[in-house]
Amino acid sequence: MNKIILSTPLHEEEMRSLHVGDVIYIKGAVYTARDLAHIKLKTLFESGEPLPKNFNGAALFHAGPVALKNQDESWRLNVIGPTTSIRMEPHADFVGQLGVRAIIGKGGMEEATLACCRKYGYVYLQAAPGCAAKLAQGIEKINDVTWFELGMPEAIWELQAFEFGPLVVGMDTHGNSIYKSLREKAIEKLNRLYPAG
Amino acid sequence: MSLSEKLIYKQIYDTIIRAVTEISDDVKAILQNTLAAETNETAKSMLSSMLENLDIAKSQDKAVCQSPGYPTTYLSFGNGNIPKNLVQIITDAVGDATDKGYLRPSMVDPLTRENSGNNTGAGIPNIEYEYCPGQTYVDFIISFKGCGAELGNDIRILTPAKLGKDLSGLKRLVLETAINAGGKPCPPYGIGIGIGGQMDIAAKLSRKAISVRRWDDVNRDPQLAALEQELKDSINSLGLGSGGTGGDTAALAVKIERTHTHTAIAPVAINFHCWVARRAGIRIHDDGRTEKIL
Repeated sequence: MNKIILSTPLHEEEMRSLHVGDVIYIKGAVYTARDLAHIKLKTLFESGEPLPKNFNGAALFHAGPVALKNQDESWRLNVIGPTTSIRMEPHADFVGQLGVRAIIGKGGMEEATLACCRKYGYVYLQAAPGCAAKLAQGIEKINDVTWFELGMPEAIWELQAFEFGPLVVGMDTHGNSIYKSLREKAIEKLNRLYPAG
Repeated sequence: MSLSEKLIYKQIYDTIIRAVTEISDDVKAILQNTLAAETNETAKSMLSSMLENLDIAKSQDKAVCQSPGYPTTYLSFGNGNIPKNLVQIITDAVGDATDKGYLRPSMVDPLTRENSGNNTGAGIPNIEYEYCPGQTYVDFIISFKGCGAELGNDIRILTPAKLGKDLSGLKRLVLETAINAGGKPCPPYGIGIGIGGQMDIAAKLSRKAISVRRWDDVNRDPQLAALEQELKDSINSLGLGSGGTGGDTAALAVKIERTHTHTAIAPVAINFHCWVARRAGIRIHDDGRTEKIL
């Protein structure tokens, strides 16, 4: 089967054509952002100050790399994999307002994000958790780092991806979430296995 | 102990590198079997990526996962056979492994969120000591349990009534906790369960259970062995799967430890361990011989 490789900046129609279970790869600039970066971006955005990157059409990766410094002060990527996305759930609407088209992480997100996926036209993609050495192979290099003072994990790293994936669509723009369906089925099974009361 | 401190440092440093560039071989074998038996396509993809990732990390001398987890050491020792500055040796080894790119600097002040830069800090590395009078060796196990997994953890103080008939209340609690954890702990995970004591003792037991035991072992306590098997099978029947995106296996192991508690309570701590079982252990005998124990 041919690999589906989408290039950044990503387009709304492309995202609205995806469905849970689809597998894609990403090419182009990918921005990492975790807890502190989201909080700092939101603070700047709400006070009308300029943001360090243009997130229109962006792929936002919930991750913090192991990066090593080169002699010339540039950075090279050692390994990188997804962090637990649910921590960023409070920023679901904000991320949509920024124009982000794909969130990459692991473990899924919840109702607020699912609603914003539909509202803004962005998807949630799951990268295989703990697979940092493999996922790093799809990244050509680190372009730069912003806000390194937040710490290596929390800074915004601009990665240059050439075939980043495989990424599974976990939440789409049509109101579907693998995580939600699995949870519902699991609760039913639990009640059959060990009835409450 | 007759070894020089440099030798001890090297043993510890090498054990750390082994822990982070591989996972313990018991877990790797279980993962391989899990993939072989898996029927769900997405889960097969997740598991294949995981096993491929292990090969890449080992062959390229890289960390399996970008997160270093939280550094914990389990140390059992006898009479006078650990060096006085062992804590500093372990701290230095973790710091050096960080500087060399095996561990991402990830330890922060819990309130200010300031990163220490080299995985040092207050209470780091966490060391659990066990004094075994007369033991003629030191067992050193280092475990870097992931912290996304911590987000799924829970602790409850149950009562005799809440334990339920045939422990159904306890079993519901464990399964509910697994459902709420979903994909957060990087399934297929291990679960450590501590039962008894008070809150803090149950919590410590839960982490120890899943950090130091081989995931393919059988509990010597027959009641716990049966409970471990039943809980593992039940969790897997929920269909949450590897990666939390569906499949036959979410739990590779359930390990339970119990300790006596007060007649009014049944503290239960549930502790998730991601599939990246970054733990390694060595035994250093008083005569200088060393052997791998994990």
